[in-house]
Amino acid sequence: MSDTQTQLEIDREKGNFRYDVDYEFDAGTGLTEKTIDYICDVKGEPDWIREFRKDALRKFHEKPMPTHWASKDLENIVFDNIRYYLSQGQKPKRSWDEVPEDVKRTFERLGIPEQERKFLAGVEAQFDSEAAYSNIKEAVGKQGVIFVGSTEGLKEHPEIFRKWFGKVIPTGDNKFSALNSAAFSGGSFIYVPPGVKVSHPLQAYFRINAENFGQFERTLIIADEGAEVTYMEGCTAPKFDTATLHSAVVELVALKGAKIQYITVQNWSNNVFNLVTKRGLAMEDAEVKWIDCNIGSRLTMKYPGVVMKGRRARGEVISIALAGDGQHQDTGAKMIHAADDTTSNIVSKSISVGTGRATYRGMVNVPRHLKGCKNNTECDALLINTNSRTDTYPAITVRGTGNACQHEASVSQVSEEQIFYMQQRGLTEGQAMSLSVNGFINDLVREFPMEYSVELKRLIDLEMEGSVG
Amino acid sequence: MNMATAPVSGVPLIEGALVEGHWPEWFVASRQRGWEDFQKLPAPAAKDEKWRFSNVRALSLDAFRYPGAVADAAALTARSTGLGESAARFVFGNNRLLSATAPAADLVAAGLVIMTLEEAATKHADLVQKHFMAQEAKLGSAKYAALHRSGPINGVFIRVPKNLEVAQPIEIFHWVEGESSAVFPHTLVVCERHSKATVVDCFRSADGAPAFACGVNDLVVEEGAKLNYVAVQQWSPSSVAFHLNSTIVGRDASCLGMQVNLGGKFVRNENYSRMVSEGARSDMLSVNIASDEQMIDQRTFQDHAKPNATSDLLYQNALTGKGRTVFSGVIRVEPGAHKTDAYQKVRNIVLSDDAEANSMPGLEIEADDVRCTHGATTAQIDDRELFYLEARGIRPDAARQLLVMGFFNTVLDRLPDARLRGHIEGLVEARLTSALRS
Amino acid sequence: MKHLKIDNLHVSIGDREILRGLSLDLPTGQVHAIMGPNGSGKSTLAKVIAGHPDYTVTSGDVLFDGESILEMEPDVRARKGIFLAFQYPSEIPGVTIANFLRAALQARLPEGEELEATEYYAKLYEKMDLLEMPRTFTSRPVNEGFSGGEKKRCEILQMAMLQPTFALLDETDSGLDIDALKIVSHGVNSLRGPDTGMLVITHYQRLLDYIVPDVVHVMVNGRIVESGTKELALKLEAEGYDWANEPEAEAVGA
Repeated sequence: MSDTQTQLEIDREKGNFRYDVDYEFDAGTGLTEKTIDYICDVKGEPDWIREFRKDALRKFHEKPMPTHWASKDLENIVFDNIRYYLSQGQKPKRSWDEVPEDVKRTFERLGIPEQERKFLAGVEAQFDSEAAYSNIKEAVGKQGVIFVGSTEGLKEHPEIFRKWFGKVIPTGDNKFSALNSAAFSGGSFIYVPPGVKVSHPLQAYFRINAENFGQFERTLIIADEGAEVTYMEGCTAPKFDTATLHSAVVELVALKGAKIQYITVQNWSNNVFNLVTKRGLAMEDAEVKWIDCNIGSRLTMKYPGVVMKGRRARGEVISIALAGDGQHQDTGAKMIHAADDTTSNIVSKSISVGTGRATYRGMVNVPRHLKGCKNNTECDALLINTNSRTDTYPAITVRGTGNACQHEASVSQVSEEQIFYMQQRGLTEGQAMSLSVNGFINDLVREFPMEYSVELKRLIDLEMEGSVG
Repeated sequence: MNMATAPVSGVPLIEGALVEGHWPEWFVASRQRGWEDFQKLPAPAAKDEKWRFSNVRALSLDAFRYPGAVADAAALTARSTGLGESAARFVFGNNRLLSATAPAADLVAAGLVIMTLEEAATKHADLVQKHFMAQEAKLGSAKYAALHRSGPINGVFIRVPKNLEVAQPIEIFHWVEGESSAVFPHTLVVCERHSKATVVDCFRSADGAPAFACGVNDLVVEEGAKLNYVAVQQWSPSSVAFHLNSTIVGRDASCLGMQVNLGGKFVRNENYSRMVSEGARSDMLSVNIASDEQMIDQRTFQDHAKPNATSDLLYQNALTGKGRTVFSGVIRVEPGAHKTDAYQKVRNIVLSDDAEANSMPGLEIEADDVRCTHGATTAQIDDRELFYLEARGIRPDAARQLLVMGFFNTVLDRLPDARLRGHIEGLVEARLTSALRS
Repeated sequence: MKHLKIDNLHVSIGDREILRGLSLDLPTGQVHAIMGPNGSGKSTLAKVIAGHPDYTVTSGDVLFDGESILEMEPDVRARKGIFLAFQYPSEIPGVTIANFLRAALQARLPEGEELEATEYYAKLYEKMDLLEMPRTFTSRPVNEGFSGGEKKRCEILQMAMLQPTFALLDETDSGLDIDALKIVSHGVNSLRGPDTGMLVITHYQRLLDYIVPDVVHVMVNGRIVESGTKELALKLEAEGYDWANEPEAEAVGA
């Protein structure tokens, strides 16, 4: 559409509202050892966590910004201006009736209690630093499934928590995993006992309400042998004039024969730096699947990974990114094959609109002396306007024989002929563009659970403005 | 944290060279700038993206020095056998011209210029000055490009005048001889409007001694012209080599460049191709065999500055022993370069458990009406195919060789000239035989 | 009765003039055929009527029942009742035929009104049966990976569903074997009626054996040089276009 001044408008307005809330706990701006002591004290955390956090803070300061390969926009984050902990209290409510009115109406407006009734096995709703609500359906709880916040997890279930916490993603993995490890609050701790298959998804909803705030939730999910679980997360924030930071760490552990599916629909407002580290460990015959949809944020850097540690383990990343005007979606996948006969699959589709930029970074590693490892990667990028941009940077390392890796990528645009064809059938230029874009991602949208794919279509409810120039 | 950087020395590499030859003032000044840049520029570091997966520790240049003349010029000239028939043949040994076979009188009369760069720097100062290393080395080896510029170079300048088609290939041999010798070959080709030529660079070691090569070539293909350029690198297996290439393709012009890497211990290739006008086409091809502890590190850039241009890259690697390869390529489509048709593919065939192939095919697209695809595959010999050949009575070694040659044929078939293809195929096959045996 | 009237139309692409004063009057209830050699401007005419952005109308007019449509966007013209069966239909990856047609029909409904799904599918299946298309066709992305014959059948299916007032069939016979040609022609014939006018553009007389036109126009060098009955098509088949070509060539030369 070289001579067409088209603009796609995406429905990001859903989360763009804000109610005033009084915070009882506020660690102030900046991150120092004092901030960490404050967080530890109000949360009543054990000493090993205090040490863990302080060690992480040192690593955070040591590590340089990764601007030698990543966007220079990272330099615009002013860490000293950010508030690292804001809450009304540390204990989530088990019933919506107990959730304070000022917080409850936010989640009601976002439709969370309704979705919970309809199709979820459990919900955790985080408001700034802490979960305001957390509950699991009784039947699921009775099967022994644990679904609580990270603080409760580390205090109440230390024997499981400590075994895996920080083991999939070490503190010093990158600058932002270190930041999260220093300041983490909220997020989920889930344990699914052997053989238990949780039939409905567990959902977390992350809401940033405060300005100049940083949200650092920490999620650890363990599916014991033969267990199965699907976890979904959604997120929104109101549009502020100043930058907001979201930096989560998510660790998944799928033990022998277990299956974890982790679904994200990221719809942060355009002022959010979304810098997230996500990795899963798949043991023998286990499967970890990341389904990741990035629509919002100013800059997202997120490369979900799977370490396939046991034989026949499988890893998968399905990713949709939509980069609108002024946005940079820097996403991708990391597949580490650490055992024989492991299989990984990456499918990534991105759409760049206006001045939007979509970047794919991939890493596939098949180390020496493994046999029968397979990776397949497909990356497709769609460019809508002449000033849109897309980049693809995969890195594939294969040592030894007996393995097969294949990477394919393409870049295309919605051609003028295609738009004319659809217009000739009576669709407006906007409808035609919208249909084409939806067609491009259709096969991936189908990967989302029914309820979510409906939600997704609404989110990518594309409207066209402008005229043929 | 790994802060490994390549240690760099310098002076012994070039001091012998500066007193030799008769270079014009502009060149001496450029040489001085090169030396300053070489001192100033940082050595590559392991964490540098442009050196990802490479081995910067292999880059110690301390031992190397500018060599004396070769012992027996006539013997090396005699060993400079290539295609048999050629339009011209230049043989260099340790940076010095050993022999030159001038082109036929009718070609010279038509305006064909082939002479040493040293001679051309004075006689064709304008052209040489305009094109000599005009393109900045952007792919990571700016420091080594500066070293090259700092002086000890020798090589050939070729100007193919407007409308002239040179039927036979032009052959250039660069030999290195003696322990720790350093050579700096340079080839500068200007194909003027609607001309046509084929140039073959052959890089060879006279003995098995470790050597250092730091070569640069500048290929300029003007409107409607066609250049085929093949570089066959056969340095000794203990050598360190840089070969930096820059290709500029004009309107409706086309350049087919092929890098064949059969030797060296650490080899770094940087191939930069820029389509500066509509209708330009660049074919970037490479055949590589990495065996023993060889590292072949290749970085490529397909730069689409203008609309309606085409680039097509195909790199194929066969790895055995503890051989390692790195392919890092970028297709860049600049804003406004619509109707770009760009393709990039790397194919690896891994033949041993200790070999490692790293592939980083990249795209940077800033125009929307384009067709750009890239791909990378890594696989091994298909057992079924191997069995099929063995069932016909072919020995396993020969069967493997046959299958790998079949794999390479996809690239070799792109060579436009049957004789050239046959010659290159022979060299690849001989190298493959020894690689599979080791 | 409605008229699609083309009045002394001049059309260029870039600096090149392709239509040089073409006039034609197509009433509903009739089928007109336009025949002409390659490069005579037949396809240009169809695309210009549909509003393709590549072409510039330098003078003349296209009137839909008296109203000029030249300033209208392509989709407005389409919803008014102009249908173009493309010579080379575009592929629309990921968008199924069922969804595509539903969107096209929905676009024709007044705001707030929803297409009735059961009726829609009943009609879709009826038309598909007519064109001997298997039901699985509906879930395939529009034209993606279609054979030449499938593409043309898909065009006629869309025409049947959208029920245009004026249909322009651009080289619908190209790429069809005899069996496919019969099926497509049968589909087209079933859509003939008092409320529909059709303009069949073809290079070969063959198609006109199956879709028998009321009027045949001969087009050469961007103009209609002769009009007549279907016998004119037979004459063209027998004698070629040379007889029509020559005076034009002289005129251009002068």
